[in-house]
Amino acid sequence: MTGTRTVKHTPRRGVVIIMVDQLPNLGREQEMLAEMGLAHIDDLFSDIPPHVRMQGDLPLRGPQSEEEIIADANRLLGSNVALGDRVSFLGAGLYRNYIPAAVFAMITRGEFLTAYTPYQPEVSQGMLQAMWEFQTLLSELLGLPIANLSLYDGSSASAEALTCAVRVHNRKATQKNVVYVSQLITPDKISVMQNYCQGGGIEIRMLKHNGDGTINLESAKEAAGSCGVYVEQPNPIGILDGGIPLLKEIIGPNTALIVGVQPVSLGVVEAPGNYGADMVVGEGQPLGSPITAGGPLYGIFACSKPYLRLMPGRIVGRSIDVDGKVAYCLTLSTREQHIRRHRATSNICTNETLIALMGAMHMALLGPEGLNHLAVRNMTACILAKQKLSEIQTIALPHIGSHHFNEFVVELPGKAKDCLDYLDENGIVGGFNLNSWYSNRTNWLLVTVTDQTKAEEIELLAAHLALWSSKAVAA
Amino acid sequence: MSNLFEHSGAIGKGYSQPEPLLPAHSIGLPENLTRKKAARWPRLSEPEMVRHYTWLSKRNFGIDTGFYPLGSCTMKHNPRINEVIAQLPGIADIHPHQPEHHVQGLLSIFHEMQEMLEICAGMDQVTLQPVAGAQGEFTAVRCIQEYFKSRGETQRTKVLVPDSAHGTNPASAAMAGFEIVEIPSREDGRIDLDAIAAAVDEQTAIMMITNPNTLGLFEPEIAQAAEIVHQAGGQMYYDGANFNAILGITSPGLMGFDAVHYNLHKTFSQPHGGGGPGSGPIGVKEHLAEYLPGPIVKKRPIMAGEEVYAIDDLWYGWYQPANSIGKVQQWHGNAGAVVRSWAYYRRFGNGLRTMSQHAVLNSNYLRHAIFREAKKAGVDDMFCDGAPTTVAKHEFTLSLLPAKEKYGITAMDVAKGLLDKGYMAPTVYFPLVVPECMMIEPTETESKEVLDTFANHFVEVLQVDAETLHAAPISTPVRRVDEVYAARNLCLRHPFEEDEQ
Repeated sequence: MTGTRTVKHTPRRGVVIIMVDQLPNLGREQEMLAEMGLAHIDDLFSDIPPHVRMQGDLPLRGPQSEEEIIADANRLLGSNVALGDRVSFLGAGLYRNYIPAAVFAMITRGEFLTAYTPYQPEVSQGMLQAMWEFQTLLSELLGLPIANLSLYDGSSASAEALTCAVRVHNRKATQKNVVYVSQLITPDKISVMQNYCQGGGIEIRMLKHNGDGTINLESAKEAAGSCGVYVEQPNPIGILDGGIPLLKEIIGPNTALIVGVQPVSLGVVEAPGNYGADMVVGEGQPLGSPITAGGPLYGIFACSKPYLRLMPGRIVGRSIDVDGKVAYCLTLSTREQHIRRHRATSNICTNETLIALMGAMHMALLGPEGLNHLAVRNMTACILAKQKLSEIQTIALPHIGSHHFNEFVVELPGKAKDCLDYLDENGIVGGFNLNSWYSNRTNWLLVTVTDQTKAEEIELLAAHLALWSSKAVAA
Repeated sequence: MSNLFEHSGAIGKGYSQPEPLLPAHSIGLPENLTRKKAARWPRLSEPEMVRHYTWLSKRNFGIDTGFYPLGSCTMKHNPRINEVIAQLPGIADIHPHQPEHHVQGLLSIFHEMQEMLEICAGMDQVTLQPVAGAQGEFTAVRCIQEYFKSRGETQRTKVLVPDSAHGTNPASAAMAGFEIVEIPSREDGRIDLDAIAAAVDEQTAIMMITNPNTLGLFEPEIAQAAEIVHQAGGQMYYDGANFNAILGITSPGLMGFDAVHYNLHKTFSQPHGGGGPGSGPIGVKEHLAEYLPGPIVKKRPIMAGEEVYAIDDLWYGWYQPANSIGKVQQWHGNAGAVVRSWAYYRRFGNGLRTMSQHAVLNSNYLRHAIFREAKKAGVDDMFCDGAPTTVAKHEFTLSLLPAKEKYGITAMDVAKGLLDKGYMAPTVYFPLVVPECMMIEPTETESKEVLDTFANHFVEVLQVDAETLHAAPISTPVRRVDEVYAARNLCLRHPFEEDEQ
């Protein structure tokens, strides 16, 4: 039955042989064309007028075999410094984690990997159920009844939460089209928020902070009557802010409280849904996904009931089939672009389902006690690092009195950039230079530890920081 | 038929991790920050978890399972070497904030991809940051908005969209704050130059079009359409959803477009993963380049001291466009998808044209085979072309309107009948301009035998009586799912028994 794949003509030596593993009909063009009554493959493009035709071949390199590609990939990607090659204290929103082998084994099953959005539910029950379970796992984790199937990343999730807050609250708001965002939020994230908000004419105002890095609750009163308030717990410099659980009381029922979270922290830290958050968003990456140079990741989005019909993103509902059997399908699609077009709640179509599925698998393996243990590992590593670094006389920990998750600020006696260069020369990825977020903080270094950090790595960092900073002080 | 939450095991079961660096009691969080009630997650051992997800995977249909002719989605085979490469530590274990000298290899791949995409689309500058097609649309529309602002043309508030467009086009433009003007297509499914000419004025900002259009037909008058829009001072935006049809044959640049998005998860084989991740880079002409989101990778010859990190004596660095709209993703986009697509590109190189030729060959062959088999079986009166044409591009549409009128068989019935034959159903009821539409895209990675067999099965389904087809599918894990029930009885999470009481 299989037709001959003998190559009848070779336009460029080697080319056909290489591509045949992806093109099953290579060499059978004439046979297929003849059946259609056509002579040449160009006849299939007779509808493209000459004045828009490309002349000549694409000026690109020639095709490669799989073996050549993997060799080049190894050469190019192998030349990168992977975090695992070094001692690393770089986080600032993305965190090195351990992903159980079973997650990779399951995620690479072709039935998941190579499926499209489950538009035909009868043959997509696996992914639909897995995503319904994902919604439940997140709902339990965050303390809110509703979660969607993911947005692109933490930044788009926070931006979409702001526009959702305006859709829901603007009618009754006394500060129309206004939202408040913690002033510590990273400029990159604020930039994403601005891009999402400007179309609707939404103004983003800043929520002030105290010297100790916590939200200024007095100034938070200004946000009452606006459409929404966005804060992070832990905040971008790792502080767990005891004022955040009090915010809902301050801003009132007609202003959405949106809390951005590091999901692993919720193994020990109170879930925002339990202290009145209306929406919870975040970067899902620490649960189930490698950092992968910043993507693909998955944006977490959860909300309470009043936001359901105006929220962004896909959602799965449990239903029944014609025989009354439990079956799952996409639901509430009338919010979405393929139905509602320019009146949709968001333009999102492709999301990050597969990465969300990695998250679900990781959560399923952890269980509640496993998550708690993971959070404890992250937090105690942070406590140990703070202890060790606080012993160094020549550096300061400006927020040492606060509770931290994953990271904390170190104030250096010189430029953070110079310190990072020194550490890099000594095989240490020393952290994040906060000058790129906060222009007035040239000497602030954000040091990140995770469950992957070892005690001896903290010792090594402490030793090098002591050495560098004593030299910097002397200079 | 169990779900995760019906598996829950004994407390403490299901995880193994090293001890924390300090005892748990050293945390000492105040009461108001401490979690009181643990998430009710299941407690699974690894074998239980593996069985659960293996079972679920068997209830899911991917390209690996069988033919997946889902129009507009370009469901081509996903080469497995791409997955191997994406797991290398040199991409998976890289942080986007690492300094340039740590990531020269990755940046060289980014640069190669920018250049390749620029060449294929006839654009001057590409950014890889948008992570999906819709985000690419939004990004490009934002760039054009800033371009007009800089020229003082803030009165340009309208975006023209054909009635056959993907829903994301109007949604993305509306999100950026534009007003949508829908342009009716001609009877034959092509754009109507007169309608465009009548719609453009000094308020026109952008026209968003895909070509081949959503009916799988090339718009022969695209250059004239671009001229009309440009004459009125507007910009032309190319929706790259259907790019797979034209690589190396024509390009958005040649057609007169100013901006374009690419779907790496369609054209360049990033797996769809059941709904994502994707990657939606955009390319623009020179006059829009300064507005792109940064950073973008540029290369230069190396300077002293850089040899040790450099690739082939070149230095790759991040660059911020002068009047950038800012960011649409917090980092550098879906780098993992870019690397997979790079591996795919390398496989074809300048042979990408052959790839597109085969996508179009397969589409036309399948269309031919379906009509051929239908005629043999005497059911060719049940459907017709979605729009009249001699050749299609990478996909084609059929209208099942005759079947509905004569026999009460709908496009959805045929779709469900095809599920019983072991196929993923084609896209149905899109584009909206074709009644009882079925949109079929075989892609270049299906053999002639698969296409012939599908054509036979398609015709077999048409021969089934209406009543039986209404009851299809019967051989799938579940039968027709009640979507109305799902919407009326919202159950969006597992109902725990204790909550029900």
